[in-house]
Amino acid sequence: MGIGAFVALVGFSRSFEVGWKKLYEVAGTDIAVIQKTFMNSSVDESDGATLNALPEIAAAEPMVVNMMDITPEVNALVYGWPENAYEFEPLKILQGRRFHGDTQEVMLGDLLAESLNKKAGDTLELQGTTYQVVGVFHGGSALEAGAVILPLEQMQRLSGMDGKVTAFHVRLKPALPGESPEDHMHRAQDAIQKALPGLKAVPAAERASNNQLVILAHAVAWGTSTIALLVAALGIANTMAMSVFERTREIGVLRALGWKRRRVMLLILIEAAGLGLVGGLVGLLVGIGALHLLAAVPQTAGIVSGDSLVAWSTLGEALGISVLVGVLAGIAPAYRGARLSPVEAMRHE
Amino acid sequence: MSETLLEVRQARKHYDDGNIQALDGVDLSIAAGEFITISGPSGSGKSTMLNLLGGLDTPTSGEVLYRGKNIGTEIDLDVYRAMHVGFIFQAFYLLPSLKAIENVQVPWLGGSCGVSSKREETARELLCELGLEHRLQQYPAQLSAGERQRVAIARSLANNPDILLADEPTGNLDSVNTAKIMEILKGIQQRRGMTLIIVTHEDEIANSAPRHIRMRDGRIL
Repeated sequence: MGIGAFVALVGFSRSFEVGWKKLYEVAGTDIAVIQKTFMNSSVDESDGATLNALPEIAAAEPMVVNMMDITPEVNALVYGWPENAYEFEPLKILQGRRFHGDTQEVMLGDLLAESLNKKAGDTLELQGTTYQVVGVFHGGSALEAGAVILPLEQMQRLSGMDGKVTAFHVRLKPALPGESPEDHMHRAQDAIQKALPGLKAVPAAERASNNQLVILAHAVAWGTSTIALLVAALGIANTMAMSVFERTREIGVLRALGWKRRRVMLLILIEAAGLGLVGGLVGLLVGIGALHLLAAVPQTAGIVSGDSLVAWSTLGEALGISVLVGVLAGIAPAYRGARLSPVEAMRHE
Repeated sequence: MSETLLEVRQARKHYDDGNIQALDGVDLSIAAGEFITISGPSGSGKSTMLNLLGGLDTPTSGEVLYRGKNIGTEIDLDVYRAMHVGFIFQAFYLLPSLKAIENVQVPWLGGSCGVSSKREETARELLCELGLEHRLQQYPAQLSAGERQRVAIARSLANNPDILLADEPTGNLDSVNTAKIMEILKGIQQRRGMTLIIVTHEDEIANSAPRHIRMRDGRIL
Protein backbone atom coordinates (compact mmCIF):
# COMPACT_ATOMS: atom_id res chain seq x y z
CA MET A 1 0.00 0.00 0.00
CA GLY A 2 2.95 2.30 0.68
CA ILE A 3 4.20 1.84 -2.88
CA GLY A 4 0.65 2.18 -4.19
CA ALA A 5 0.37 5.50 -2.36
CA PHE A 6 3.79 6.53 -3.67
CA VAL A 7 2.94 5.75 -7.30
CA ALA A 8 -0.47 7.38 -7.08
CA LEU A 9 0.67 10.52 -5.25
CA VAL A 10 3.99 11.07 -7.01
CA GLY A 11 2.38 10.17 -10.35
CA PHE A 12 -0.37 12.67 -9.57
CA SER A 13 2.09 15.45 -8.75
CA ARG A 14 4.27 14.63 -11.81
CA SER A 15 1.22 14.61 -14.03
CA PHE A 16 0.51 18.08 -12.68
CA GLU A 17 4.07 19.14 -13.59
CA VAL A 18 3.79 17.60 -17.07
CA GLY A 19 0.54 19.52 -17.53
CA TRP A 20 2.32 22.80 -16.79
CA LYS A 21 5.14 21.99 -19.19
CA LYS A 22 2.70 21.15 -21.94
CA LEU A 23 0.78 24.33 -21.26
CA TYR A 24 3.90 26.43 -21.89
CA GLU A 25 5.01 24.34 -24.88
CA VAL A 26 1.67 24.48 -26.66
CA ALA A 27 1.37 28.26 -26.17
CA GLY A 28 4.95 28.82 -27.30
CA THR A 29 5.98 30.49 -24.04
CA ASP A 30 9.75 30.57 -23.64
CA ILE A 31 10.21 32.41 -20.37
CA ALA A 32 8.15 33.24 -17.29
CA VAL A 33 9.04 36.47 -15.54
CA ILE A 34 8.35 36.28 -11.81
CA GLN A 35 9.38 37.80 -8.53
CA LYS A 36 12.63 36.61 -6.99
CA THR A 37 11.01 35.71 -3.70
CA PHE A 38 9.85 32.18 -2.95
CA MET A 39 6.18 33.18 -2.93
CA ASN A 40 6.61 34.82 -6.32
CA SER A 41 3.00 35.59 -6.92
CA SER A 42 2.87 39.33 -7.37
CA VAL A 43 4.57 41.40 -10.08
CA ASP A 44 3.72 44.97 -11.10
CA GLU A 45 1.63 44.90 -14.26
CA SER A 46 3.37 48.07 -15.40
CA ASP A 47 6.62 46.11 -15.88
CA GLY A 48 5.04 44.68 -19.01
CA ALA A 49 5.86 47.85 -20.94
CA THR A 50 9.57 47.50 -20.08
CA LEU A 51 9.55 43.86 -21.14
CA ASN A 52 7.81 44.51 -24.43
CA ALA A 53 10.36 47.24 -25.23
CA LEU A 54 13.28 44.78 -25.04
CA PRO A 55 14.66 43.78 -28.47
CA GLU A 56 14.90 40.10 -27.49
CA ILE A 57 11.16 39.83 -26.74
CA ALA A 58 8.43 39.19 -29.29
CA ALA A 59 5.61 39.37 -26.74
CA ALA A 60 5.33 39.62 -22.97
CA GLU A 61 1.90 38.97 -21.57
CA PRO A 62 0.66 39.49 -18.05
CA MET A 63 -1.29 36.68 -16.42
CA VAL A 64 -2.85 35.87 -13.09
CA VAL A 65 -3.45 32.29 -12.02
CA ASN A 66 -5.08 30.87 -8.93
CA MET A 67 -6.81 27.73 -7.74
CA MET A 68 -10.45 28.44 -6.88
CA ASP A 69 -13.51 26.55 -5.67
CA ILE A 70 -15.97 26.42 -8.55
CA THR A 71 -18.46 24.28 -6.64
CA PRO A 72 -18.06 22.69 -3.20
CA GLU A 73 -16.78 19.55 -4.98
CA VAL A 74 -14.82 21.00 -7.91
CA ASN A 75 -11.64 23.09 -7.75
CA ALA A 76 -10.14 24.50 -10.92
CA LEU A 77 -7.24 26.58 -12.08
CA VAL A 78 -8.53 30.04 -13.00
CA TYR A 79 -6.47 32.14 -15.42
CA GLY A 80 -6.75 35.82 -16.09
CA TRP A 81 -5.47 36.66 -19.58
CA PRO A 82 -5.57 39.83 -21.68
CA GLU A 83 -8.19 39.73 -24.43
CA ASN A 84 -5.52 39.43 -27.12
CA ALA A 85 -3.14 37.02 -25.35
CA TYR A 86 -1.05 34.87 -27.69
CA GLU A 87 -1.92 31.92 -25.45
CA PHE A 88 -5.38 31.85 -27.08
CA GLU A 89 -3.77 30.71 -30.34
CA PRO A 90 -3.57 26.96 -29.63
CA LEU A 91 -7.01 26.85 -28.02
CA LYS A 92 -9.78 25.40 -30.13
CA ILE A 93 -13.14 27.07 -29.52
CA LEU A 94 -15.74 24.29 -29.38
CA GLN A 95 -18.73 26.45 -28.49
CA GLY A 96 -19.39 30.22 -28.50
CA ARG A 97 -16.51 32.70 -28.69
CA ARG A 98 -13.66 34.36 -26.78
CA PHE A 99 -14.47 36.94 -24.10
CA HIS A 100 -14.29 40.64 -25.00
CA GLY A 101 -12.37 43.19 -22.92
CA ASP A 102 -13.07 43.81 -19.26
CA THR A 103 -16.45 42.11 -19.16
CA GLN A 104 -17.95 39.59 -16.76
CA GLU A 105 -17.40 36.78 -19.23
CA VAL A 106 -15.54 33.48 -18.84
CA MET A 107 -14.47 30.60 -21.02
CA LEU A 108 -14.44 27.03 -19.77
CA GLY A 109 -12.18 24.14 -20.68
CA ASP A 110 -14.15 21.29 -22.23
CA LEU A 111 -13.48 18.88 -19.36
CA LEU A 112 -14.61 21.39 -16.75
CA ALA A 113 -17.68 22.38 -18.81
CA GLU A 114 -18.64 18.72 -19.00
CA SER A 115 -18.19 18.06 -15.30
CA LEU A 116 -20.12 21.26 -14.41
CA ASN A 117 -22.68 20.52 -17.13
CA LYS A 118 -22.26 24.06 -18.50
CA LYS A 119 -22.36 25.31 -22.05
CA ALA A 120 -21.99 28.65 -23.80
CA GLY A 121 -24.79 30.95 -22.68
CA ASP A 122 -24.97 29.58 -19.12
CA THR A 123 -23.76 31.47 -16.07
CA LEU A 124 -21.02 30.59 -13.59
CA GLU A 125 -20.48 32.01 -10.12
CA LEU A 126 -16.91 32.71 -9.07
CA GLN A 127 -16.17 34.03 -5.57
CA GLY A 128 -19.66 35.53 -5.32
CA THR A 129 -19.59 37.20 -8.78
CA THR A 130 -21.75 35.89 -11.61
CA TYR A 131 -20.10 35.47 -15.00
CA GLN A 132 -21.54 34.53 -18.32
CA VAL A 133 -20.00 31.49 -20.00
CA VAL A 134 -19.28 32.79 -23.50
CA GLY A 135 -17.20 29.89 -24.82
CA VAL A 136 -16.02 26.35 -24.31
CA PHE A 137 -12.56 25.46 -25.56
CA HIS A 138 -10.26 22.48 -25.93
CA GLY A 139 -6.70 23.12 -24.74
CA GLY A 140 -3.50 21.28 -25.40
CA SER A 141 -2.93 20.51 -21.73
CA ALA A 142 -5.06 18.78 -19.10
CA LEU A 143 -4.62 21.90 -16.96
CA GLU A 144 -6.38 23.99 -19.61
CA ALA A 145 -9.04 21.36 -20.24
CA GLY A 146 -10.08 21.71 -16.62
CA ALA A 147 -9.55 25.47 -16.35
CA VAL A 148 -11.49 28.73 -16.39
CA ILE A 149 -10.17 31.70 -18.37
CA LEU A 150 -11.49 35.18 -17.78
CA PRO A 151 -10.36 38.72 -18.57
CA LEU A 152 -7.19 39.75 -16.76
CA GLU A 153 -8.82 42.75 -15.08
CA GLN A 154 -11.69 40.61 -13.77
CA MET A 155 -9.24 38.08 -12.38
CA GLN A 156 -7.17 40.84 -10.73
CA ARG A 157 -10.32 42.09 -9.00
CA LEU A 158 -11.33 38.57 -7.94
CA SER A 159 -7.86 37.96 -6.51
CA GLY A 160 -7.41 41.41 -4.93
CA MET A 161 -4.43 42.03 -7.22
CA ASP A 162 -5.26 45.36 -8.85
CA GLY A 163 -2.25 46.50 -10.86
CA LYS A 164 -0.45 43.22 -10.09
CA VAL A 165 -0.02 39.98 -11.98
CA THR A 166 1.28 36.53 -11.10
CA ALA A 167 3.83 36.49 -13.91
CA PHE A 168 4.59 37.61 -17.42
CA HIS A 169 4.73 34.91 -20.07
CA VAL A 170 7.29 35.78 -22.71
CA ARG A 171 7.76 34.67 -26.28
CA LEU A 172 11.23 35.39 -27.58
CA LYS A 173 12.23 36.60 -30.99
CA PRO A 174 14.14 34.00 -33.05
CA ALA A 175 17.76 33.28 -32.11
CA LEU A 176 20.55 35.12 -33.91
CA PRO A 177 22.21 33.23 -36.77
CA GLY A 178 24.58 30.63 -35.30
CA GLU A 179 23.33 31.23 -31.76
CA SER A 180 22.67 28.06 -29.73
CA PRO A 181 19.30 27.69 -27.96
CA GLU A 182 21.12 27.92 -24.61
CA ASP A 183 22.91 31.13 -25.54
CA HIS A 184 19.67 32.52 -26.91
CA MET A 185 17.91 31.79 -23.62
CA HIS A 186 20.75 33.20 -21.50
CA ARG A 187 20.90 36.37 -23.56
CA ALA A 188 17.17 36.96 -23.10
CA GLN A 189 17.28 36.13 -19.37
CA ASP A 190 20.19 38.55 -18.85
CA ALA A 191 18.41 41.31 -20.76
CA ILE A 192 15.19 40.89 -18.76
CA GLN A 193 16.92 40.74 -15.39
CA LYS A 194 19.06 43.75 -16.27
CA ALA A 195 15.99 45.76 -17.29
CA LEU A 196 13.97 44.65 -14.24
CA PRO A 197 16.46 43.90 -11.44
CA GLY A 198 13.77 42.88 -8.96
CA LEU A 199 12.46 40.12 -11.19
CA LYS A 200 13.65 36.73 -12.35
CA ALA A 201 13.41 35.37 -15.90
CA VAL A 202 12.88 31.62 -15.65
CA PRO A 203 12.89 29.27 -18.68
CA ALA A 204 9.37 27.90 -19.13
CA ALA A 205 10.36 24.28 -18.54
CA GLU A 206 12.05 25.23 -15.29
CA ARG A 207 9.10 27.32 -14.23
CA ALA A 208 6.80 24.35 -14.86
CA SER A 209 8.83 22.28 -12.42
CA ASN A 210 9.38 25.01 -9.84
CA ASN A 211 6.14 26.89 -9.52
CA GLN A 212 4.58 26.91 -6.08
CA LEU A 213 1.67 24.66 -6.96
CA VAL A 214 3.94 21.97 -8.43
CA ILE A 215 6.40 22.25 -5.54
CA LEU A 216 3.52 21.97 -3.07
CA ALA A 217 2.08 18.98 -4.94
CA HIS A 218 5.48 17.25 -4.95
CA ALA A 219 6.02 18.00 -1.27
CA VAL A 220 2.60 16.66 -0.27
CA ALA A 221 3.11 13.59 -2.49
CA TRP A 222 6.54 12.78 -1.06
CA GLY A 223 5.53 13.58 2.52
CA THR A 224 2.44 11.40 2.43
CA SER A 225 4.29 8.66 0.55
CA THR A 226 7.12 8.70 3.07
CA ILE A 227 4.66 8.13 5.91
CA ALA A 228 3.00 5.32 3.95
CA LEU A 229 6.42 3.80 3.20
CA LEU A 230 7.38 3.96 6.89
CA VAL A 231 4.20 2.05 7.72
CA ALA A 232 5.09 -0.44 4.96
CA ALA A 233 8.62 -0.79 6.37
CA LEU A 234 7.19 -1.59 9.81
CA GLY A 235 4.98 -4.23 8.17
CA ILE A 236 7.95 -5.83 6.40
CA ALA A 237 10.09 -5.67 9.56
CA ASN A 238 7.31 -7.39 11.48
CA THR A 239 6.89 -10.04 8.77
CA MET A 240 10.63 -10.72 8.66
CA ALA A 241 10.88 -10.81 12.47
CA MET A 242 8.08 -13.39 12.53
CA SER A 243 9.75 -15.31 9.70
CA VAL A 244 13.09 -15.40 11.54
CA PHE A 245 11.34 -16.47 14.74
CA GLU A 246 9.42 -19.25 13.02
CA ARG A 247 12.53 -20.43 11.20
CA THR A 248 14.89 -20.24 14.17
CA ARG A 249 15.58 -23.98 14.04
CA GLU A 250 16.19 -23.85 10.29
CA ILE A 251 18.69 -21.03 10.82
CA GLY A 252 20.37 -23.14 13.52
CA VAL A 253 20.67 -26.05 11.06
CA LEU A 254 22.16 -23.80 8.40
CA ARG A 255 24.69 -22.49 10.93
CA ALA A 256 25.49 -26.07 11.98
CA LEU A 257 26.07 -26.96 8.33
CA GLY A 258 28.73 -24.28 8.15
CA TRP A 259 26.82 -21.25 6.97
CA LYS A 260 28.59 -18.12 8.13
CA ARG A 261 26.71 -15.40 10.01
CA ARG A 262 26.97 -13.00 7.08
CA ARG A 263 25.55 -15.66 4.72
CA VAL A 264 22.53 -16.15 7.01
CA MET A 265 22.15 -12.37 7.22
CA LEU A 266 22.34 -12.11 3.43
CA LEU A 267 19.69 -14.83 3.02
CA ILE A 268 17.26 -12.95 5.30
CA LEU A 269 18.02 -9.62 3.61
CA ILE A 270 17.45 -11.14 0.16
CA GLU A 271 14.12 -12.49 1.37
CA ALA A 272 13.21 -9.07 2.79
CA ALA A 273 14.21 -7.42 -0.50
CA GLY A 274 12.11 -10.00 -2.38
CA LEU A 275 9.18 -9.26 -0.09
CA GLY A 276 9.65 -5.55 -0.78
CA LEU A 277 9.87 -6.19 -4.53
CA VAL A 278 6.69 -8.28 -4.64
CA GLY A 279 4.93 -5.70 -2.46
CA GLY A 280 6.27 -3.02 -4.78
CA LEU A 281 4.91 -4.74 -7.89
CA VAL A 282 1.49 -5.11 -6.29
CA GLY A 283 1.73 -1.48 -5.15
CA LEU A 284 2.55 -0.39 -8.70
CA LEU A 285 -0.63 -1.99 -9.99
CA VAL A 286 -2.66 -0.41 -7.19
CA GLY A 287 -1.04 3.00 -7.79
CA ILE A 288 -1.54 2.90 -11.56
CA GLY A 289 -5.15 1.88 -11.02
CA ALA A 290 -5.63 4.77 -8.58
CA LEU A 291 -4.17 7.23 -11.11
CA HIS A 292 -6.51 6.00 -13.83
CA LEU A 293 -9.33 6.51 -11.39
CA LEU A 294 -8.14 10.06 -10.63
CA ALA A 295 -7.93 10.79 -14.37
CA ALA A 296 -11.56 9.73 -14.73
CA VAL A 297 -13.00 11.55 -11.69
CA PRO A 298 -14.19 15.09 -12.57
CA GLN A 299 -12.69 16.62 -9.40
CA THR A 300 -9.16 15.65 -10.47
CA ALA A 301 -9.41 15.00 -14.19
CA GLY A 302 -8.31 18.58 -14.88
CA ILE A 303 -4.97 17.91 -13.22
CA VAL A 304 -4.25 14.27 -14.08
CA SER A 305 -3.91 13.75 -17.78
CA GLY A 306 -4.55 10.30 -19.20
CA ASP A 307 -1.58 10.49 -21.56
CA SER A 308 1.05 11.25 -18.92
CA LEU A 309 -0.04 9.08 -16.01
CA VAL A 310 3.06 7.28 -14.80
CA ALA A 311 6.58 7.91 -16.03
CA TRP A 312 8.97 4.95 -16.32
CA SER A 313 11.24 6.83 -13.93
CA THR A 314 8.45 6.86 -11.32
CA LEU A 315 7.95 3.10 -11.75
CA GLY A 316 11.69 2.56 -11.42
CA GLU A 317 11.86 4.77 -8.36
CA ALA A 318 8.89 2.96 -6.81
CA LEU A 319 10.46 -0.47 -7.32
CA GLY A 320 13.85 0.77 -6.11
CA ILE A 321 12.27 2.28 -3.02
CA SER A 322 10.24 -0.88 -2.32
CA VAL A 323 13.38 -3.05 -2.47
CA LEU A 324 15.31 -0.54 -0.34
CA VAL A 325 12.50 -0.40 2.23
CA GLY A 326 12.49 -4.22 2.29
CA VAL A 327 16.24 -4.37 2.87
CA LEU A 328 16.20 -1.67 5.56
CA ALA A 329 13.27 -3.33 7.30
CA GLY A 330 15.07 -6.67 7.13
CA ILE A 331 18.31 -5.49 8.76
CA ALA A 332 17.21 -5.93 12.39
CA PRO A 333 15.62 -9.40 11.86
CA ALA A 334 18.64 -10.45 9.76
CA TYR A 335 21.04 -9.31 12.48
CA ARG A 336 19.06 -11.21 15.09
CA GLY A 337 18.95 -14.34 12.91
CA ALA A 338 22.68 -14.20 12.21
CA ARG A 339 23.53 -13.81 15.91
CA LEU A 340 21.64 -16.94 16.94
CA SER A 341 23.74 -19.68 18.51
CA PRO A 342 23.37 -22.86 16.41
CA VAL A 343 22.77 -24.99 19.51
CA GLU A 344 20.10 -22.71 20.97
CA ALA A 345 18.50 -22.22 17.57
CA MET A 346 18.20 -25.96 16.97
CA ARG A 347 16.57 -26.40 20.39
CA HIS A 348 13.90 -23.87 19.40
CA GLU A 349 10.41 -25.41 19.23
CA MET B 1 49.18 -45.27 15.94
CA SER B 2 47.09 -42.76 14.00
CA GLU B 3 47.61 -39.07 14.63
CA THR B 4 45.39 -37.32 17.15
CA LEU B 5 42.60 -35.54 15.31
CA LEU B 6 40.53 -34.14 18.17
CA GLU B 7 41.57 -33.48 21.73
CA VAL B 8 39.47 -32.21 24.61
CA ARG B 9 41.44 -30.80 27.54
CA GLN B 10 39.83 -30.14 30.91
CA ALA B 11 36.65 -28.96 29.18
CA ARG B 12 33.96 -27.53 31.41
CA LYS B 13 30.61 -26.25 30.19
CA HIS B 14 28.24 -24.34 32.46
CA TYR B 15 24.78 -23.06 31.70
CA ASP B 16 22.44 -20.76 33.60
CA ASP B 17 25.24 -18.72 35.23
CA GLY B 18 26.99 -21.86 36.45
CA ASN B 19 23.91 -23.44 38.02
CA ILE B 20 23.94 -26.25 35.44
CA GLN B 21 27.23 -28.03 34.88
CA ALA B 22 26.96 -29.99 31.63
CA LEU B 23 30.63 -30.96 31.42
CA ASP B 24 32.94 -31.14 34.40
CA GLY B 25 36.60 -31.15 33.40
CA VAL B 26 36.57 -33.71 30.60
CA ASP B 27 39.69 -34.99 28.83
CA LEU B 28 39.39 -36.97 25.62
CA SER B 29 41.61 -37.78 22.67
CA ILE B 30 40.29 -39.08 19.34
CA ALA B 31 42.49 -40.41 16.56
CA ALA B 32 41.91 -39.77 12.87
CA GLY B 33 39.71 -42.48 11.31
CA GLU B 34 38.41 -43.70 14.66
CA PHE B 35 34.80 -44.88 15.20
CA ILE B 36 33.52 -43.92 18.64
CA THR B 37 30.16 -44.08 20.35
CA ILE B 38 29.22 -41.95 23.33
CA SER B 39 26.36 -43.06 25.56
CA GLY B 40 24.89 -42.09 28.87
CA PRO B 41 21.63 -41.11 30.50
CA SER B 42 19.86 -37.83 29.79
CA GLY B 43 21.83 -34.92 31.23
CA SER B 44 25.08 -36.88 31.27
CA GLY B 45 26.71 -34.32 28.95
CA LYS B 46 27.02 -36.48 25.82
CA SER B 47 25.25 -34.00 23.50
CA THR B 48 27.23 -31.12 24.99
CA MET B 49 30.39 -33.09 24.26
CA LEU B 50 29.23 -33.60 20.66
CA ASN B 51 28.50 -29.88 20.32
CA LEU B 52 32.02 -29.01 21.49
CA LEU B 53 33.61 -31.57 19.16
CA GLY B 54 31.54 -30.24 16.26
CA GLY B 55 32.30 -26.56 16.90
CA LEU B 56 28.66 -25.79 17.57
CA ASP B 57 29.61 -24.49 20.99
CA THR B 58 32.73 -23.57 22.95
CA PRO B 59 33.68 -24.71 26.47
CA THR B 60 33.27 -22.37 29.44
CA SER B 61 36.85 -23.33 30.35
CA GLY B 62 39.36 -25.76 28.95
CA GLU B 63 39.90 -26.26 25.24
CA VAL B 64 39.03 -28.39 22.23
CA LEU B 65 41.79 -28.89 19.66
CA TYR B 66 41.58 -29.98 16.03
CA ARG B 67 44.93 -31.23 14.78
CA GLY B 68 46.50 -29.34 17.68
CA LYS B 69 44.75 -26.04 16.99
CA ASN B 70 42.22 -24.50 19.32
CA ILE B 71 38.70 -24.52 17.83
CA GLY B 72 37.25 -21.07 18.33
CA THR B 73 40.50 -19.14 18.78
CA GLU B 74 42.94 -20.56 16.25
CA ILE B 75 40.29 -21.97 13.90
CA ASP B 76 37.10 -20.06 13.15
CA LEU B 77 34.07 -22.07 14.27
CA ASP B 78 32.15 -21.46 11.03
CA VAL B 79 35.13 -22.48 8.91
CA TYR B 80 35.71 -25.57 11.08
CA ARG B 81 32.09 -26.69 10.72
CA ALA B 82 32.00 -25.92 7.02
CA MET B 83 35.23 -27.69 6.10
CA HIS B 84 35.86 -30.47 8.60
CA VAL B 85 32.56 -31.60 10.15
CA GLY B 86 29.42 -33.30 8.88
CA PHE B 87 26.39 -33.39 11.19
CA ILE B 88 23.60 -35.95 11.32
CA PHE B 89 20.67 -35.20 13.63
CA GLN B 90 18.01 -37.39 15.20
CA ALA B 91 15.22 -35.27 13.64
CA PHE B 92 17.01 -35.10 10.23
CA TYR B 93 16.43 -31.32 9.95
CA LEU B 94 15.96 -31.33 6.20
CA LEU B 95 14.54 -28.13 4.70
CA PRO B 96 10.93 -29.01 3.82
CA SER B 97 10.74 -26.64 0.85
CA LEU B 98 13.72 -28.22 -0.93
CA LYS B 99 13.89 -31.48 -2.88
CA ALA B 100 16.26 -34.24 -1.74
CA ILE B 101 18.92 -33.28 -4.28
CA GLU B 102 18.64 -29.62 -3.24
CA ASN B 103 18.87 -30.41 0.46
CA VAL B 104 22.19 -32.16 -0.13
CA GLN B 105 23.55 -28.97 -1.73
CA VAL B 106 22.65 -26.70 1.21
CA PRO B 107 26.10 -26.86 2.91
CA TRP B 108 27.76 -25.58 -0.28
CA LEU B 109 25.49 -22.55 -0.36
CA GLY B 110 26.85 -21.35 2.98
CA GLY B 111 30.22 -20.39 1.55
CA SER B 112 31.52 -20.08 -1.95
CA CYS B 113 28.74 -21.53 -4.05
CA GLY B 114 30.86 -23.18 -6.73
CA VAL B 115 29.49 -24.20 -10.08
CA SER B 116 25.83 -25.14 -9.89
CA SER B 117 26.06 -28.09 -12.31
CA LYS B 118 29.06 -29.55 -10.47
CA ARG B 119 27.25 -29.23 -7.13
CA GLU B 120 24.23 -31.00 -8.49
CA GLU B 121 26.32 -33.78 -9.98
CA THR B 122 28.10 -34.40 -6.68
CA ALA B 123 24.79 -34.34 -4.76
CA ARG B 124 23.38 -36.88 -7.24
CA GLU B 125 26.41 -39.14 -6.72
CA LEU B 126 26.06 -38.96 -2.93
CA LEU B 127 22.36 -39.81 -3.03
CA CYS B 128 23.04 -42.68 -5.45
CA GLU B 129 25.77 -43.96 -3.11
CA LEU B 130 23.07 -44.13 -0.40
CA GLY B 131 20.59 -45.91 -2.66
CA LEU B 132 18.31 -42.93 -3.25
CA GLU B 133 18.76 -42.56 -7.02
CA HIS B 134 14.98 -42.89 -7.47
CA ARG B 135 14.16 -40.24 -4.83
CA LEU B 136 16.26 -37.29 -6.01
CA GLN B 137 13.33 -35.04 -6.88
CA GLN B 138 11.18 -35.87 -3.85
CA TYR B 139 10.49 -33.43 -1.03
CA PRO B 140 11.22 -34.56 2.56
CA ALA B 141 7.50 -34.99 3.26
CA GLN B 142 7.34 -37.53 0.41
CA LEU B 143 10.13 -39.66 1.89
CA SER B 144 10.06 -42.33 4.61
CA ALA B 145 11.94 -41.69 7.87
CA GLY B 146 14.79 -43.96 6.78
CA GLU B 147 15.06 -42.19 3.42
CA ARG B 148 15.08 -38.80 5.11
CA GLN B 149 17.95 -39.87 7.30
CA ARG B 150 19.83 -41.14 4.26
CA VAL B 151 19.34 -37.72 2.59
CA ALA B 152 20.65 -36.12 5.79
CA ILE B 153 23.69 -38.43 5.69
CA ALA B 154 24.32 -37.46 2.06
CA ARG B 155 24.09 -33.79 3.12
CA SER B 156 26.61 -34.38 5.92
CA LEU B 157 29.07 -35.73 3.34
CA ALA B 158 28.60 -32.84 0.91
CA ASN B 159 31.67 -30.90 2.03
CA ASN B 160 33.77 -34.09 2.18
CA PRO B 161 34.47 -33.66 5.92
CA ASP B 162 36.97 -35.72 7.90
CA ILE B 163 34.70 -35.93 10.97
CA LEU B 164 31.13 -37.23 10.98
CA LEU B 165 29.10 -36.44 14.11
CA ALA B 166 25.76 -38.14 14.59
CA ASP B 167 23.42 -37.23 17.46
CA GLU B 168 21.02 -40.16 18.02
CA PRO B 169 20.90 -40.83 14.25
CA THR B 170 18.52 -43.78 14.67
CA GLY B 171 16.37 -42.29 17.42
CA ASN B 172 13.41 -41.77 15.08
CA LEU B 173 13.76 -45.02 13.14
CA ASP B 174 12.40 -48.56 13.43
CA SER B 175 14.73 -51.52 13.90
CA VAL B 176 15.00 -52.31 10.18
CA ASN B 177 15.95 -48.76 9.28
CA THR B 178 18.21 -48.51 12.33
CA ALA B 179 20.22 -51.49 11.10
CA LYS B 180 20.33 -50.05 7.59
CA ILE B 181 21.52 -46.59 8.74
CA MET B 182 24.18 -48.09 11.01
CA GLU B 183 25.41 -50.25 8.15
CA ILE B 184 25.60 -47.17 5.93
CA LEU B 185 27.45 -45.10 8.54
CA LYS B 186 29.99 -47.85 9.24
CA GLY B 187 30.48 -48.38 5.51
CA ILE B 188 31.12 -44.69 4.94
CA GLN B 189 33.54 -44.54 7.87
CA GLN B 190 35.52 -47.49 6.54
CA ARG B 191 35.50 -46.51 2.86
CA ARG B 192 36.40 -42.89 3.47
CA GLY B 193 38.57 -43.37 6.55
CA MET B 194 36.54 -40.74 8.37
CA THR B 195 36.30 -40.21 12.11
CA LEU B 196 32.78 -41.23 13.13
CA ILE B 197 31.37 -40.19 16.51
CA ILE B 198 27.87 -41.31 17.39
CA VAL B 199 25.91 -40.22 20.46
CA THR B 200 23.29 -42.81 21.36
CA HIS B 201 20.98 -44.14 24.03
CA GLU B 202 20.89 -47.59 22.52
CA ASP B 203 23.31 -50.15 23.97
CA GLU B 204 23.41 -52.23 20.79
CA ILE B 205 24.64 -49.22 18.78
CA ALA B 206 26.94 -48.08 21.59
CA ASN B 207 28.58 -51.50 21.70
CA SER B 208 28.95 -51.73 17.93
CA ALA B 209 31.93 -49.35 17.90
CA PRO B 210 35.54 -50.35 18.61
CA ARG B 211 35.62 -47.60 21.24
CA HIS B 212 32.70 -46.86 23.51
CA ILE B 213 32.69 -43.91 25.91
CA ARG B 214 30.18 -43.79 28.76
CA MET B 215 29.30 -40.49 30.43
CA ARG B 216 27.49 -39.52 33.60
CA ASP B 217 27.07 -36.16 35.36
CA GLY B 218 29.33 -34.41 32.88
CA ARG B 219 32.20 -36.83 33.26
CA ILE B 220 33.62 -39.74 31.29
CA LEU B 221 33.36 -42.93 33.31
